[in-house]
Amino acid sequence: MTRTITLSLDINDRRYDVDVEPRVTLLDALREHAGLTGTKKGCDQGQCGACTCHVDGKRVLSCLMLAAQAEGRKITTIEGLATGGGDLHPVQVAFMENDAFQCGYCTPGQIMSAVACIREGHAGSDEEIREYMSGNLCRCGAYNNIVAAVRQAAEMADA
Amino acid sequence: MTIMEPRKHGSSADGVVGGRLSRIEGQLKVTGAATYALEYPTEGLAHAVLVQSTVAAGRVVKVDTASALSSPGVLMVLTPEDDLGLRVSGDWGGNPPEDLPYHPLPREVQFNGQSIAAVVAETREQAAEAARLVSVTYEEQPGVADLDDPKAGEGKLLAHLSVAWGDAEAALVAAPVRIEADYRTPREYHCAMEPHGLTAKWEDDQLIIWEPSQWSHGMARMYAEWFSLPSENVRIISPFIGGGFGSKGQPLAFGAVAAAAARKLGRPVRLAVTRPQNFTSYGGRAATRQTIKLGATPDGILQAIIHRGANETSVYADVPEQTGAATPILYKVENFSSESRVVPVNTVSPGALRGPGKNPSAFGIECAMEELAYALNMDPLELRLKNYADHDYQSGKPWSTRQLREALTQGAEAFGWSKRNPAPRSMRKGRKLLGWGIGCGTFPVIQAPSEAMIRILSNGRVEVVSGSIDMGQGTYTILAQTASEALGVPVDQVDVVLGDSRLPGAAIAGGSMLAGSITGAVHKAALAARDELIGLALGASGSPFRDTGANTLTIQDGRLSLPREDSPTMNLPELLASLGRDHIEIRRNTLPEDLSLQDQQKSWGNMSRVQGPTMGDYSMHSWCAHFAEVEVDEDFGTVRVSRMVSAFDCGRLYNPRLVESQWRGGIIMGIGQALLEEGVVDPRNGRTMNSNLGDYLVPTNADIPDIEVISVGIPDLRASALGGKGVGEVGIVGVAPAIANAVFHATGKRVRDLPITLEKLI
Amino acid sequence: MLDFSYSRAGSLAEAGTLAAGEGVRILAGGTTLLDLAKCGVEMPETVIDILSLEGLDGISVEATGARIGALAKMSAVADHAGISAHCPAISQSLTLAASAQLRNMATIGGNLLQRTRCPYFRDPVSFPNCNKRNPGSGCAAIGGVTRNHAVLGTSEQCIATYHGDLAVALTAFDAVVETDRRTIPIDAFFLLPQDRPDRETVLERGEMITGISIPASAAAKNSLYLKVRDRQSYEFAAASAAVGLEFEADGRTLKDVRVAVGGVATKPWRAKGVEEALLGKPLTTAALAEAARLSVDGAMSHGGNHYKIDLLPRVVARAIETVAVTLAPQLAAELGEPA
Repeated sequence: MTRTITLSLDINDRRYDVDVEPRVTLLDALREHAGLTGTKKGCDQGQCGACTCHVDGKRVLSCLMLAAQAEGRKITTIEGLATGGGDLHPVQVAFMENDAFQCGYCTPGQIMSAVACIREGHAGSDEEIREYMSGNLCRCGAYNNIVAAVRQAAEMADA
Repeated sequence: MTIMEPRKHGSSADGVVGGRLSRIEGQLKVTGAATYALEYPTEGLAHAVLVQSTVAAGRVVKVDTASALSSPGVLMVLTPEDDLGLRVSGDWGGNPPEDLPYHPLPREVQFNGQSIAAVVAETREQAAEAARLVSVTYEEQPGVADLDDPKAGEGKLLAHLSVAWGDAEAALVAAPVRIEADYRTPREYHCAMEPHGLTAKWEDDQLIIWEPSQWSHGMARMYAEWFSLPSENVRIISPFIGGGFGSKGQPLAFGAVAAAAARKLGRPVRLAVTRPQNFTSYGGRAATRQTIKLGATPDGILQAIIHRGANETSVYADVPEQTGAATPILYKVENFSSESRVVPVNTVSPGALRGPGKNPSAFGIECAMEELAYALNMDPLELRLKNYADHDYQSGKPWSTRQLREALTQGAEAFGWSKRNPAPRSMRKGRKLLGWGIGCGTFPVIQAPSEAMIRILSNGRVEVVSGSIDMGQGTYTILAQTASEALGVPVDQVDVVLGDSRLPGAAIAGGSMLAGSITGAVHKAALAARDELIGLALGASGSPFRDTGANTLTIQDGRLSLPREDSPTMNLPELLASLGRDHIEIRRNTLPEDLSLQDQQKSWGNMSRVQGPTMGDYSMHSWCAHFAEVEVDEDFGTVRVSRMVSAFDCGRLYNPRLVESQWRGGIIMGIGQALLEEGVVDPRNGRTMNSNLGDYLVPTNADIPDIEVISVGIPDLRASALGGKGVGEVGIVGVAPAIANAVFHATGKRVRDLPITLEKLI
Repeated sequence: MLDFSYSRAGSLAEAGTLAAGEGVRILAGGTTLLDLAKCGVEMPETVIDILSLEGLDGISVEATGARIGALAKMSAVADHAGISAHCPAISQSLTLAASAQLRNMATIGGNLLQRTRCPYFRDPVSFPNCNKRNPGSGCAAIGGVTRNHAVLGTSEQCIATYHGDLAVALTAFDAVVETDRRTIPIDAFFLLPQDRPDRETVLERGEMITGISIPASAAAKNSLYLKVRDRQSYEFAAASAAVGLEFEADGRTLKDVRVAVGGVATKPWRAKGVEEALLGKPLTTAALAEAARLSVDGAMSHGGNHYKIDLLPRVVARAIETVAVTLAPQLAAELGEPA
């Protein structure tokens, strides 16, 4: 048998104990072991951004991080973005209002990236939003509306 | 940050057909709750990983599985040695299958990257590790890498695609102004963000498959034929699809492998096709080349068009990518000739990718028209309007609707085309050269039948039920709008259930045919449900309408009433309560009425009832005109699109908000096609060398400017029940030539082979 | 990925000791190691995670120079105001690299050690012959698809490009790599492929990078990183240049010139020829054009990458011109407007 290790992961302010092989990525731990499939696998190679989630408040690609590396850190996924009461995050609302997605597969990654982009202070202009959202590919081509959604949410955060 | 609820869609008018209702499944998508194929929890799951060939052609002599089998967690290794007990399935057209065995892991290698073995293990990680330990010995044969391979040759003529009228050769010779040029497009890939894959599970002789599908009934039928089962024994579940663009319309070899492995193992099997494997597990758009000759009078009247095209195909199927598809119908011309060839090379069979045929075809003719405009010293907009086709010169039939003139003129107005300085290299923005170009596009209206069910529940909610799918085009939303309007029930009282082959049959979400087809079926079913409700309300015991002598009622806002001010009213829960029913179900389809139930059932799994654009009295197509502005750094040869205005005639729009998104998506894919996308193979062994999203470049957010889209369409009731024409495919058609034409205007360099990368301009 | 064992190092010294063992790989940001493990290029038996080690991610800027700890994240350095004042080319090289997510993960030490994107190197099942992976096996890239391969510093054994951006900027400004054993000038840190393409740096087994220092200079302060690529973002360079200048008091004569180039060579490439041609002379259009051409001195094409030989001098010239005109606006008339 392959070796497994037991990890205690802090995901969305909840503890998940998972038994995984050391080579299991955070992405696969989320999707296959923690039952949190909102984080998507688009390439598994760090080239598309679909797997973006937050670790210690920073946006990262969960496909290039071992689950073991994430132990002891605070992980936030798309499922943890809304409040406990179920109220949507302003970025989620802005994505809906601006039709910033079509198929929806890149969307959780886009939203996690957008939340961080605004928090980092990289949503100052449309040009800056475009550049700092370029790590999230969208093949349906919702880019114009993604920029509009990020702009709207950033303006609300400033207000 | 403040927490807030999503704003309700502006006004109540958003909920009817033509309203700008937000996607009704939006909340599921922004919260991660929308569940895609590989995300269904399944007990006892095993994981399969494919092993693919590393040679272009030859024969598998030996597969050494010993190390893989002894690797931890491995349950099974399938190789060409294994008889999986499958039979060949029929084609899309529904032609009966040949009675031959089907080997999804074949011994004959026909292209590099062909699946030849699969490892099944307890975890995906274990299967992936063991897959690396499978050692394959080939008897290699010389292969043909691509269209440029000297061994590829001229290919085979596809006579059924030849089109001719008038005397094109003579007219060309006689024309005072002539141009001739060769245009090429490379191999291109879908790159849907959701990679392919499936989970297959057997319950006795029932096969359940969770797989992204653009056509649940067609895929169920083909799986069933592989496994010699009745179609109804296979269930495809696909409520959310992470993009398809033509790639998810049929089951593929890996699907057969996963389902066969599940049967052999007696456990459900999940097979995730890796991103690199997605480049060879199904085909993208074939590489094409075409030669176009145009002849015109000095004042720009087209005299002749001659087109000779070819595309690569696989060595096992002749798949045309019709470079002559748009050529005959964009302009008025009395003398025309087109021929198409396919050139077999060692590749996976090419597939349908957004705007199949029309897309590379428009690249040829729309670049050629601009080359002619420059040769004539004429504004390319004027040249296009001057040769406007008053009817379809190919079929001889009148257009059903054709607002291409409006698209050209309104697009030009919005773009500011009149401010153009016609001379190449004449416009600058700082250090950058600026260029403007036009490209027109078209896509046929393809019609197909569909079926839909309306279910009225005792709590008053209305369900629209269909086996059709939504991969982002907006099927969920427009069907809610269609039912809401026809029934007279508020749209937020309507639920839509899609994406399951057990549900009523529907057209494929491909060829831009689904929306027009399924709205027709839902509209029909909803009107029938409305009549049914009214009839029941008039007759129900305890009904306030029973003794009024009325023979009809209205339904508005979910309430039945007499068509007068002081009418008593009744809502749907009250009606169902008074009838003692827990639901009412109405099912309607748009098949011919005289079909037997059995023939009706068969209709959903094949395309035998699909109708092309000129099968009736009219020629029916969507149209568009793109206006592109590019900035070119002359020193570096880098091109960036700085502005796009595109005007579309897609008939009536069922939901303009979603249509605009789809148009923009097509345009963005067109920008990628123009500037970035090119599948590259190693000429020595046919290996795809950029089979990942870091090397096969699709546009990022930073590559895309604000795109203005304009609708100039009018309802076309010949095209569909509600007046719409196709939306999804046409958006990309004409984008690449608009950009190539803009690059010429900017630089004076004519690049005739896509993509327009920097080395072609420095 | 093959199965491996995982542990977190308690200290740098412990990590170094463990890393000296056979089959052991150090894991920090993971963006190179895990990527290559998935490709089957890296097959570690043991992975030692150093990401949680404390005190190795500091960034400090003083009058004499800047120092960046090995575990500082790319994004932290890119967004550091002191670094961008000290050497804008460094900040720019980071901001223009990868994506925001990857920059939040990748460390500076790991960034230096990133490995080539050569598709032949990354596809061991289809192309067993790769001298970088398997010394003596040959080079599958030669004669293959070479659009992104190097034109400078190649050998008959290897033509793989070093694709990183940061190291190019560091090379221009004489950065020094600090390890737990010694300090190494950056230009000596990276090795040419020559006969041993598998040896990419002078690091010894178990030797740990602790930081990078960049000496202060006027040229570093007046610097630029220019990156040209097919896609606007999230792509490696077709060609790039890190340039820094200092003028004499006359605002014309070059007192210091630093040029390094990326995306074109087998290692971060100092363009000494360009520097020497310009140093101590007034900057003119003709002098610039002539000097920029020296950036491809000795360049060799392998077919598909030939365009890099045309492109690189233009990138170098534009970068120098842009910095020059910013520093000495009166040169604009002669050199042309910067883009």
